[in-house]
Amino acid sequence: MSEYAAKDAAAALARAQELSSTVRAGAKWYVRYQVVYGCAAAVVVLAIGLLSRPYGVAIGVGFWGVVVAGLSVYSARQRVARRGFGRWHASMIIAWGLLYAAVLVPGSIWFPGVVAWWVPGAVVVALPGLIGGYLEARR
Amino acid sequence: MTDPHDRTRPHHGSHPSHGSNPSHGSHPRHGLDEVIHAPVRFSIVATLAAADKAEFAFVRDTVEVSDSVLSRQVATLEKAGYVAVTKGYVGKRPRTWLALTADGRAAFAAHCQALRAIAGDDA
Repeated sequence: MSEYAAKDAAAALARAQELSSTVRAGAKWYVRYQVVYGCAAAVVVLAIGLLSRPYGVAIGVGFWGVVVAGLSVYSARQRVARRGFGRWHASMIIAWGLLYAAVLVPGSIWFPGVVAWWVPGAVVVALPGLIGGYLEARR
Repeated sequence: MTDPHDRTRPHHGSHPSHGSNPSHGSHPRHGLDEVIHAPVRFSIVATLAAADKAEFAFVRDTVEVSDSVLSRQVATLEKAGYVAVTKGYVGKRPRTWLALTADGRAAFAAHCQALRAIAGDDA
């Protein structure tokens, strides 16, 4: 170690950068995860809000269950999660939950079947997943 | 052990305080962590530093070593308190997950800082 030179140190740092890039590439699955999550969240809101009851609720909840189960299996099969994944994922889920409640509760009470409420609401509920996927892809 | 880099430091996760030990000088190379310094272990730690957790096979493929070499080096890092090993199942398949501990992250950050100082110092 006493003969460790600047070029050795620079090479080690470059190697660390290279490995970090490999990990980032291996963690890109989370882009797909978030985009699917966002799109599915929008479909659920549209189903619950615009389809006649109780079919809309049943279709929306059933579809959501299938999507969440599929995403859970998909994520469990991945080989690496990037640094900060846990915190980021929790934030995305919390943001989705808050927006979902903010769209669903008033919509169910005051705007059942009103396209002008549910379509923008679906877009809003999709945002955490879509923005998260966009930011993840840019990393 | 025959590997000179297998020496572990007396205080895991800590770093030499310059001047407190007569054998340590002021040159940044004294800030290098001897556990992490070995090339394969450096690559393992650098890989895990970019991840929350990584599967054993992912680290093996990324670092390009055999299962036995990775197992041996991970055992050394685990003994030093730098890596946590978790075993589990995905379906019926057994999986081993590796993650850096807080001590491991701190040691790697200090090691990289020393590397940057050496790269700048001697350049």
